[in-house]
Amino acid sequence: MFHRSLRSRFAAGGALVLIIVGGSAALVPQKPEAAALVPAAHAPGPATVRRLSADQYRNIIHDVFGRSLDLGGYFEPDLRISGLLAVGSGKVGITPAGMEQYDAMARSIAGQVADEDHRAQMIPCAPKSADAADDACAGAFLARVGRLLYRRPLSEDQLEAYVDAAAIAARTTGDFYQGIEFSLAAMLSSPQFLFREARTVPARGSVHVLDAYAKASQLSFFLWNSGPDLLLLEAAAKGVLDRPRGLSREVDRMMESPRLEAGLRAFFTDNFGFDKITSLTKDAAIFPEFSAQVAEDAQEQTLRTILDVVLTRNADYREIFTTKKTFLTQQLGSIYRVPAISDAPNGAPDTWQEYEFAADDPRAGILTHISFTALHSPAGRGSPTLRGKALREIMMCQPVPPPPGDVPFNIINDTSNPLYRTARKRLAAHAANPVCAGCHKITDPIGLALETFDGQGKFRTTENRETLDTSGTLDGVAYQDAAGLARAVRDNPATTTCIVNRLSAYALGRATAPGEKAWVAHLQKAFADGGYRATTLMRAIAVSREFYTVSPPALEQSASAPASTGETR
Amino acid sequence: MFSYGRLSAFALGGVLLFAQSALAETRSYAVSWFTQAMNSQAGDCPDGVNLPWKEHRLKILRDYGFTGEQIEAMVQEELAGKGRSPIQAFIVMRGRMNGQPVSPYTYPATVIDPKLHYVKGAKTSYGFNLDGQEGPASFIDPDTGEKGVDNELSRALGCMREFRGSKATPPLYWEWTWGQLKSNQPAWLITIEGDDLGSDGDVTVTFDRALEHLRHNIDGSPRKDVTYRIDPDPRSHNVYAGRIEDGLVTLTAPGTAGINLLQDPLVAVMFRMTKVNMRLGMMSDDSLDVMVGGYQPWSDLYFSFAGGGAANESASTGDMPGIYYLFRRHADADPDPATGQNASISATYYMRAIPAFTAAPNLKRPTLAAR
Amino acid sequence: MKVNRRTVLKGSLAGASVGVGIPLLDCFLNANGTALANGAALPPIFGTWFQSLGFTPGRWRPDAIGRDYESKAEMKPLDAFKARMNLISGCQYFMDGRPVETHITGVQIGSTGAIPVGVISAPSIDDIVAGMIGARTRFRSLEVSLTGNRESASRRAGSASNSPSEPSPAALYARIFGPEFRDPNALAFEPDVRVMARRSVLSAVSDARRDFSKALGASDRTRLEEYFTSIRQLEQQLELDLQKPAPLEYCARPGTPAEGVVGPVTDDVARNATLFGGLIANAVACDQTRVFNLMMGQAGNVRQAGSIENWHGWTHEEPIDPQAGYQVIVAWYSTWAAQVFADFLTELDKRKEGSGSVLDRAVVLWQTDHGIARSHTMDNLPIIAVGSAGGRLKTGMHINTPGDPSTRVGLTLQQALGVPAGTWGALSNATSKTMTEILA
Repeated sequence: MFHRSLRSRFAAGGALVLIIVGGSAALVPQKPEAAALVPAAHAPGPATVRRLSADQYRNIIHDVFGRSLDLGGYFEPDLRISGLLAVGSGKVGITPAGMEQYDAMARSIAGQVADEDHRAQMIPCAPKSADAADDACAGAFLARVGRLLYRRPLSEDQLEAYVDAAAIAARTTGDFYQGIEFSLAAMLSSPQFLFREARTVPARGSVHVLDAYAKASQLSFFLWNSGPDLLLLEAAAKGVLDRPRGLSREVDRMMESPRLEAGLRAFFTDNFGFDKITSLTKDAAIFPEFSAQVAEDAQEQTLRTILDVVLTRNADYREIFTTKKTFLTQQLGSIYRVPAISDAPNGAPDTWQEYEFAADDPRAGILTHISFTALHSPAGRGSPTLRGKALREIMMCQPVPPPPGDVPFNIINDTSNPLYRTARKRLAAHAANPVCAGCHKITDPIGLALETFDGQGKFRTTENRETLDTSGTLDGVAYQDAAGLARAVRDNPATTTCIVNRLSAYALGRATAPGEKAWVAHLQKAFADGGYRATTLMRAIAVSREFYTVSPPALEQSASAPASTGETR
Repeated sequence: MFSYGRLSAFALGGVLLFAQSALAETRSYAVSWFTQAMNSQAGDCPDGVNLPWKEHRLKILRDYGFTGEQIEAMVQEELAGKGRSPIQAFIVMRGRMNGQPVSPYTYPATVIDPKLHYVKGAKTSYGFNLDGQEGPASFIDPDTGEKGVDNELSRALGCMREFRGSKATPPLYWEWTWGQLKSNQPAWLITIEGDDLGSDGDVTVTFDRALEHLRHNIDGSPRKDVTYRIDPDPRSHNVYAGRIEDGLVTLTAPGTAGINLLQDPLVAVMFRMTKVNMRLGMMSDDSLDVMVGGYQPWSDLYFSFAGGGAANESASTGDMPGIYYLFRRHADADPDPATGQNASISATYYMRAIPAFTAAPNLKRPTLAAR
Repeated sequence: MKVNRRTVLKGSLAGASVGVGIPLLDCFLNANGTALANGAALPPIFGTWFQSLGFTPGRWRPDAIGRDYESKAEMKPLDAFKARMNLISGCQYFMDGRPVETHITGVQIGSTGAIPVGVISAPSIDDIVAGMIGARTRFRSLEVSLTGNRESASRRAGSASNSPSEPSPAALYARIFGPEFRDPNALAFEPDVRVMARRSVLSAVSDARRDFSKALGASDRTRLEEYFTSIRQLEQQLELDLQKPAPLEYCARPGTPAEGVVGPVTDDVARNATLFGGLIANAVACDQTRVFNLMMGQAGNVRQAGSIENWHGWTHEEPIDPQAGYQVIVAWYSTWAAQVFADFLTELDKRKEGSGSVLDRAVVLWQTDHGIARSHTMDNLPIIAVGSAGGRLKTGMHINTPGDPSTRVGLTLQQALGVPAGTWGALSNATSKTMTEILA
């Protein structure tokens, strides 16, 4: 009986495939299963008002107006909280300088929509006169795009305001289309567009649920990293999303859409901190091969590798740590020192090629990618500590405390000291300081396994002519090299609990609350039962009632207490 | 852990991984520097280095019979900067055919020979004894000590400012052309194959052209280990039998084959020489240091210079018809049966190359082109 | 009866004869409530300076990165401006397999961010900026050549060729301050209709904006308030744009410049650069233009008096001095040119506007065509940006970004000047990477 209810709620519309991957089933935390489904135990966190990310802004504009539009403008910096920009997006505002940019972009977009090249295809009607206001035509256009931009139908007052605004501007300028332009620009600068408004309605018990349109947004930003399409808004309007079967059907539709890739890309880009890769630079005197293009390609390489595992092959998520298959450009090939052929003419940009690292190649999985080894290294050398810290925090959700303020790092930084020719020796000397030893024990042994990759991610076997020792243990599991470490990470239970915590926090826009533990445990089980497929986990989140359930507004302050980090140690 | 030897072979010649024979070793390279081999020394131009172009023009005017006063007036008019320079107007049409002015670049023989200075005082020049003879005028190679070296191209151009230079300070003309071409002209590829390139033995050396240009690092240095596709055009495919000793590759039958590589017309449509000899040194930094000598049709060089016309003459080469006369004077091979004028000049070119992967065109997996 | 702001605006704008129909609210006045806050911030100015042949390797790039670097010999003439400029080293022009046209391709990429395909190229950076800040001044931009010809690196959108430059200070004077010059303070003010429309639209939808979910926690309420504050500032800016601008207190018609020789001889170039500096400073102070472009000899046609060889010729023919290790004459020219640039900047700085100067609200982008003149390389380029554009840029730094496209600098300046650009350039010269370290 319990199982049937689980299936109907979390696996409707698709057969639940149970695959026990060699030995890993034992790693699933054995939680009291009943907890997952006892609604009384579910004490949700607050609804979040998230600022659109740059990609979400771009995606919506392209979805609504097509790809021919040039956005112009740049975005305010994001904020990373609990390891995710998606969580930070619920904490950031819009500064006056940022508003100037949003306004500039809004005018640029609106100007293009209303210009002579685009107006015929963008605006569904022609005005009675091009040099006067036409409320009927303006209203038709603004209601249509307004619904997509606000992600819900405009209220009567809202629509009237925008139609009035278009009329005023049309009269001022003597041009209907400028009226449309300025009214649309104002809409694109409105908080309803720039923030994800989370309207809620009271539900049974002492909780609230997102209203139908907020549900649609919750779903589409999670799965597509963009606003709802017309079908989803229609489903919201008809109350389809309020019914488990209807919700499940919509989720199926959305997960079969090619836009799921954008959603997965957005999550992994956020989770792996790839926002930092665009500004990653190396000391050109030491790593002259590390160009901005290499950094950009390195991120794309890892995303393509992950998407190949989790989407194209819909395989066990943990394969991303061990897969030999990847994708390369010429620039990356020259750092990995493997052939990567272009099939483009001379001078054309690099092209992507599928590549399989040989069985005995030292590379395996994303930890050995440039996007990991180079991103988590200082400009002029590699760093076992930074890499170990990144592995713990990003892949295993185990926060590592920052170093105390007054520790000297001169031994670590001096890679030319003949006494300490390898990082292992430098760190050993450094960790003789007991203040440091505690944390370095957490990070260094695993980071040292990656020492065969230098600061830009190029393979080496020695440092200062001394052969590198890459052996170590991860939580009691011994390994000899990076590939062994990768297998240990794959098999570590923290790896799977971490991705569940991260993806649910990413979906909610906040760390999960203590009262949502049972839900997270349920997701964990669904993930394990589904053979650790990322799509199974996404689906489990998307179809669960808890995803749309929030604390009542009055409770918001107490529920946002910092205790709810959602991270495990 | 991984064996370093295995990786080293892997890194230095990725194609090894795909070669059939387990014994054969292949290293591929992309040419990362190309210049005429010059070894200019103080005192090698006893008649003096030819004047800078702007001053040399005045000598041309004198050769053509302008008086000192006339020349001074023309200089003043040019300096005043009003309209076109009268000197330049004369210079660019200084050829005379049937009494009519013609382009000196297209018709260099219609120009009065300016009798440019050439190398008279040098004992050394890079290259090879191509004709097997040691004359009083032949050079000694400064690197190998080889006697009887034929490199008349270095003699002809060695007193032109634009062509003087050494390995360390390359001739300006060649530095300029390389700067123009390195990031757009399809790269040249060199492949060395042998049983074991770490020991002495027989090898095969192949020169090809790639489909894509040389890639560079962010500091402008050439980028190692990039993959290049081999252009299937047979005109740029050259194979030589050679022998490696202590990392230095030499040809087993020098003087029996030529070299042909498509090039950019800025330098020449085709880089070609006959009776080629060469040596290729495998350096400790994995790069390759190459000297190639042979007989080059001097018209190839002349017409690539002339293709740039007056702009090339003033900025890159110096007196162009003057160079034409130098080439005619110093050409030392391929006499015309009727006139006896030699059509080719002995020359040596210096190349450096860096490790690369090479792939046959249109193949997803890199492999060696068919031999 | 409730007076709706929307109604007020509608009413006042209904009859198109709008002088100033919008009520003056307190927030539009400055702190002491006496004058419009408008006069406080003079608009930013953008200039470009294109100089062929760059600097000598080893003689310009400072050893230190960041602030407090020691200038090398050829940059020393600019030491007076060191704290007010940024020096960017290491950038590159990318060829993408296209052939190099010596002295041309570099100018094209530097000015437009792309190698043109066909006849029509992208507009140059000054034209993009002028679209933002110079569209309403008498001259969208002023092009000046320092070496006697009419070359420029400025190209307007949709144009098949670069704009011609003015080589003569006297002619430039006549163009700006000749009979057609009108005292800007005496001109009638006509508010921009499009600004008017934007202003009314933002007012008209203000209630609609407020119609946001009310069930917000304290921190979300604060965030929304920040948003509304930001929108209010935007509206205030528009309000100011609709007022008659404060008089240009520092506008004065200069005297006619002395007649002089126009041509490529160094002494004439130096003198004319100073004259141009003064004229441009006055043109800016009188708001005749907000964008200017200077060209210092596209192919290095500059030469010393009495010499028939010019700067460019020397780069090809001067041997590297074995003692010095570089081309000594060429190095003299580079250093001289830096001094000419410094003298030009001094003229902008001498034109005071209250406590600041024309240079204070300008940013002048100095670029060149080749990293090494002798071999005409396209990497390791020097780029200089002088001025903070009225505090929009942080200055005083040497930034080393080897291998990055030069367009990063141009993109950053565009953004500082309010151009809504997220990317600039084409193919490998395209970038969306702002130099955040210099954006204020």
